[in-house]
Amino acid sequence: MKQHQRRTALKLAKSLLPAEEFKRVMSLKINDTGFGYDPFGLEKETAVLGFALAWQLYHYWFRVQSSGQEHLPEGGRVLYVPNHSGVLPFDGMMIAVDLVSRSAQPRLVRGMVDHFMGFLPFVNTFFYRAGQVVGARRNFVDLLERDEAVIVFPEGAKGTGKRWHNRYRLLRFNVGFVELALQYRAPIVPVAVIGAEEQAPMLHNLKPLAKLMGFPYFPITPFFPWLGPFGMLPLPVRYHLYYGKPIDFYRDYPPETVKDPATVRMLADKVQLAVQGLVDEGLRRRTSIFDFTGE
Amino acid sequence: MPTTKKNVLITGVTSSIGRNLTQHLIQNPRVGFILGLGRDKLPYYFKDLDRSRFLYRNCNILKYRELKNLFLSRVFKDCAIDTVVHLAFHNRQMHGKDVHLLNVHGTKNLIEACIGTGTVTKFVFKSSDSVYKLRPSNPVFLDEHAELNHDPEADQWIKDRVDADMICRAYMDSKTMRIVILRMASIFGRNIGGQYNSYFDSKIVFRTMGFNPMINLLHMKDVIRAIELAIFKNVKGIYNIAGKDTAPLATFADLNHSFCLGLPEPLLGPLNWATRALGLTRYYYEVDRQRQKYTGLLDIAKARRELGFEPEGHIEF
Repeated sequence: MKQHQRRTALKLAKSLLPAEEFKRVMSLKINDTGFGYDPFGLEKETAVLGFALAWQLYHYWFRVQSSGQEHLPEGGRVLYVPNHSGVLPFDGMMIAVDLVSRSAQPRLVRGMVDHFMGFLPFVNTFFYRAGQVVGARRNFVDLLERDEAVIVFPEGAKGTGKRWHNRYRLLRFNVGFVELALQYRAPIVPVAVIGAEEQAPMLHNLKPLAKLMGFPYFPITPFFPWLGPFGMLPLPVRYHLYYGKPIDFYRDYPPETVKDPATVRMLADKVQLAVQGLVDEGLRRRTSIFDFTGE
Repeated sequence: MPTTKKNVLITGVTSSIGRNLTQHLIQNPRVGFILGLGRDKLPYYFKDLDRSRFLYRNCNILKYRELKNLFLSRVFKDCAIDTVVHLAFHNRQMHGKDVHLLNVHGTKNLIEACIGTGTVTKFVFKSSDSVYKLRPSNPVFLDEHAELNHDPEADQWIKDRVDADMICRAYMDSKTMRIVILRMASIFGRNIGGQYNSYFDSKIVFRTMGFNPMINLLHMKDVIRAIELAIFKNVKGIYNIAGKDTAPLATFADLNHSFCLGLPEPLLGPLNWATRALGLTRYYYEVDRQRQKYTGLLDIAKARRELGFEPEGHIEF
């Protein structure tokens, strides 16, 4: 963005956010290469504006409640590993906003997005400027080496395409994140997202059409494609986020463990169990899907 | 660093890099003698150089016999050339057999002739970042092991660079000669050929609508520094060389006070053809079709570690 566009973006963000939130998000620091961008394409002004827009959804639409912030590391490299669901990935967005808005030390969390995002004009630029990175292993490594906080969905894009009858049943986790957590000595924070499954109940996946269009899935929901693009709007469910205790595999397993696929698999399954445990606990505590009462 | 002096042969010495390199190395007391090869008459800017340390020769590296004769000549032996820096490459976006011959066969002839002498112990080849394949699934940083662009549909400009790079790699196991390939980011500056120089030359630049990739520009000072380090360090292999300045394409256009207009991708090829035909630009879009969309920055960790290279020069518009 040009300087005047940056000023406009910040003004707009300031008008959209409460003063305290704006102050928190402005306190985020980026690894500026000298032109207002970090090497991955992140631009602070776009990230702040993106946060301001996402915060509207966070606060007014999904009315997010979260707990377990006492477990969050205040600095250093860390992997956030949540369950993934909801057709469109609002879950990652809500976690990112929550980590800025409610953690003791606001942190910019970098999301790993699917490869096909890079094909999409405009969308790719906005995602990069807002801090998202294509989910390539090398990018993951570079972010951890720079002590960044990274959010990773080990269920992959398939996670958001879970059918209604499989809701809150986690797909088997990929193992790549465990390998990197061991190699780069990064703690893993399990996160449960409750609510996203109901925002767009997926009744069916039209696989042939998805294949034709190059998408990971083509959802049929009660509203899509019947209402056109409006059918993709998520329902105003209440989100609940639960952060678990960090799992420090690197304390017990040396980096060479990555050469042992069975152990790596077992560790990935442990993380999956931890996330599933948080999800089950969250579901037990939930009293209503929409819950329009209170904060 | 070794204390023995290096005697250097530079092909393509009349190119902007060759000229700058020669003028830099001649100041270096660790360089004994420089033999410059070119296809033109002795350019005016070399006339003031100390003749006891610099000699210019006409030589067509495409003619193996001519090259062999040069390497067997008294001049070559008296100079005791031990290092060759290969810069003879067509930088302009020309096509055809002659261009391919110089770019690829010229490199092959030269490298074989160098190995044949038995006295040349270092061969430095300036390659380019355009040898890498760019896709949306690429990581942001490309290391030396990243996939090369073997796309049969790629422009000859890219294919020649990949071929020449591969030829140098094929001789990497030579027991008598250390080969160093320097894959450089786009060089930007005054009086330099190259894609981004041609691109930013225009007051109105076109880019692919909806994309604004991060690019890295390399200062001539860093190019010379990297080649100098490759000459003197006891290394061989492939090294990525990138500059200090990294920003989105449109930001560099703004800094250059060019008006940057995003257009749908299908329009860019014909528009570029028309503007080239009218003589309004020397930029060749086909070469940069992917680079206009996808980010691929060079990871210089290996060059930092083994060559001791650290970019210093900031781009001035």
